[in-house]
Amino acid sequence: MSYSVFDAKRYIDVIKYRWLWLAISFIFIFPGIVAMLWSMKVYPTHTPLLVGIDFTGGTIIQYSVNKEISTNEIGKIRLDLTKNNIENPVIQVLKPTTTDNSSNIKNIISVKTKFSENGQNETIDKVTEVIQADYPNSQLVQVNSVGPLLGKQLFINSLIAISLALLAIVIYLTIRFHIEFAIVACLALFHDVLLTVGVFSILGLVYGVTVDSLFITAILTVLGYSVNNTIVVFDRVRENLKFYSKKATYDEIVNVSVNQTLARSINTSLTTLLTLGSLYFLGGVTTKDFVLVLIIGVIAGTYSSIFFANTLIALWNEIQNKNKTKHSEA
Amino acid sequence: MRNKIIMFWAIVIITIISVVIIKVKPIPLGLDLVGGSRIVLEAQTTDTISEITQDMMDGLKAALENRVNAMGVSETMVQQMGDKRLLIEIPNISDPKLAREFLGETAELEFKKPILDDNGNVKGWEPSGLSGEDLNKAQVGTDAAGRWLISLEFNGKGAHKFAKLTREFKGFPIAIYFNGESVSEPVVQQEITGGNAQITGEFTHDEAKKVVDLLNAGALPVPAEIIEENTVGPTLGADSLHKSKTAGFIGIIAVMLFMIVWYRVPGLIANIALIVYSLIVFAIFKTIPVTLTLAGIAGFILSIGMAVDANILIFERTKEELKSGRTLFTAINSGFDRAFTSIFDSNMSTIIICAILYFLGSNIVKGFALTLAIGVIVSMFSAITVTKNLMHLIFGTGQLKYPALFGLKESDINEAYEASETKREKAKFGVLD
Repeated sequence: MSYSVFDAKRYIDVIKYRWLWLAISFIFIFPGIVAMLWSMKVYPTHTPLLVGIDFTGGTIIQYSVNKEISTNEIGKIRLDLTKNNIENPVIQVLKPTTTDNSSNIKNIISVKTKFSENGQNETIDKVTEVIQADYPNSQLVQVNSVGPLLGKQLFINSLIAISLALLAIVIYLTIRFHIEFAIVACLALFHDVLLTVGVFSILGLVYGVTVDSLFITAILTVLGYSVNNTIVVFDRVRENLKFYSKKATYDEIVNVSVNQTLARSINTSLTTLLTLGSLYFLGGVTTKDFVLVLIIGVIAGTYSSIFFANTLIALWNEIQNKNKTKHSEA
Repeated sequence: MRNKIIMFWAIVIITIISVVIIKVKPIPLGLDLVGGSRIVLEAQTTDTISEITQDMMDGLKAALENRVNAMGVSETMVQQMGDKRLLIEIPNISDPKLAREFLGETAELEFKKPILDDNGNVKGWEPSGLSGEDLNKAQVGTDAAGRWLISLEFNGKGAHKFAKLTREFKGFPIAIYFNGESVSEPVVQQEITGGNAQITGEFTHDEAKKVVDLLNAGALPVPAEIIEENTVGPTLGADSLHKSKTAGFIGIIAVMLFMIVWYRVPGLIANIALIVYSLIVFAIFKTIPVTLTLAGIAGFILSIGMAVDANILIFERTKEELKSGRTLFTAINSGFDRAFTSIFDSNMSTIIICAILYFLGSNIVKGFALTLAIGVIVSMFSAITVTKNLMHLIFGTGQLKYPALFGLKESDINEAYEASETKREKAKFGVLD
């Protein structure tokens, strides 16, 4: 009997090059881990990511400005603010994406400072005064302030939510598949989340990108997407094991399953990336980082569902078989 | 075939109902899209109040509701969060500063009587027992010179206290304190029995109006502090909404083009399913109703990318079945059957995550989880019913005559693994015929 899929031309041999796939994962994840460790050392918050005011507490005030802003001007704003007793102001200029003329928001100046327990109003008034002195046409567009205690609670709640989500998925997969699939799916998930968080840790160190509560949402979505992808491939492995387990080796079955689902894996990622890409390039400035997390997560999730999870499931089987033979020999 | 036709009309009716709902019902937009303030206040314990009770919170909530209503904007919300916090949402507010000033103030009005030394000079002030609680109402007025003032009208008890106070300190100053600060120290000319008083000072109209509104709304039973604030100006909100709409529209068009280029006729069917999907999802959003926020829109747009996933799974599977030389009818059916376990398990895991997010997450996260979950559930429905029905209705039965319709080549057919291996297996949870 011949199974042409087993010897088709366009065929990725996942098992044969498994060390290569694992090495690629390692190359992409490792710098992120280094960045996280480094961040934990250098940041005053000792967090692996540069966390925003949602977690640390603080006030961010944003103004829309209808002209370009140079780096020198940012320095001047900082100086002016410090003169007016604003503590450690952090100034960023955000660029909304589209150049369409209907929107008169060319740039957004974002000023971050401490959360003042009393006199929140005075702080905002002072900053507004300073900005409007420099940019008469500027407009206050957004105020975001979080008390320090609230931030900590959010962080703890987020961790609880992520842990529970993981646990629920392991339970579900153990019921629907098998414990080894559940564990490998979780490892794939760690792979994707670690990679995404790592990228943002690096972005935090290099560009000062901070993470907020939307970041947690994005990571949870990546989590869901990653499991989703891995399950589709595993479902095929499960099915093929049923039909071919006597005619082909475990490795072959894993290989075939990956290749059978390859078109789907790539196409689904493409459609998702098409929508995400349009959100990133055309959407509002407020959701940009959120969408970026998803883009990185989707790419990582696609890679891990094709190369990482299957390599591991085959490895798991190999180790189990070895142990079995050892047992039977002994 | 009859079932198919009934199903087809059922889908048409559902679509029409959705369109009607979308036309009729407005969708509530989140503060990040229309602009507005979202403020979290926390009741503070003081020297005299050592514990925050539920009664105090109810009082605080009532007082804040009064204040928010006094601002004259619609669709405001005051809601208790946990033991001692209140969440306040004020949409469409033009001046965010106003909200902040309005909500954080305790609005404690107090009349103080002078402590006199032996020569009749004022040494200091002490409480007189007359306070904002004794007020009937406050009004903005002007004096003879046209200056703004606040006129107070006491209730019966207050009028009595005020009369006693003015009788006792005739010829001496009394002080009016607002939020712990002296705003006016008038000298009592004569006993006032009518229960009316005026606060004069250097007020602008807005200042006077603010104090009047605060006094009328009532003082807060406990001091409350703003611990979280999120204000979005109307321009930024409109900008975000406009951009998200454009991005969503272009994203959908791109996905549709991709589906047609790659999957041909089935791709076209998937696109119809996608439109039905979008209509149903929006109708559900409006019926519940889900307040649409930026994160919610992002969740919806993401779910479009994921909604085609079910179609892609099915088409890839159907292609495989066709390659193995099956007839159209069986290929489509088994394509659906066998893709179903994948779709079910993968979407279930997403729904589980959404459920956890919904129950544990903060408000923004909740909205996102709900929109994503609705999207996933509807996408399963649209892929399984809409796509399948249209596939059967369009392709009918028999052998595939034009493989190009599926984006296949003549030579692909019968190239794959043997047909005998792909026995149709009933999907466990399928709603298949």
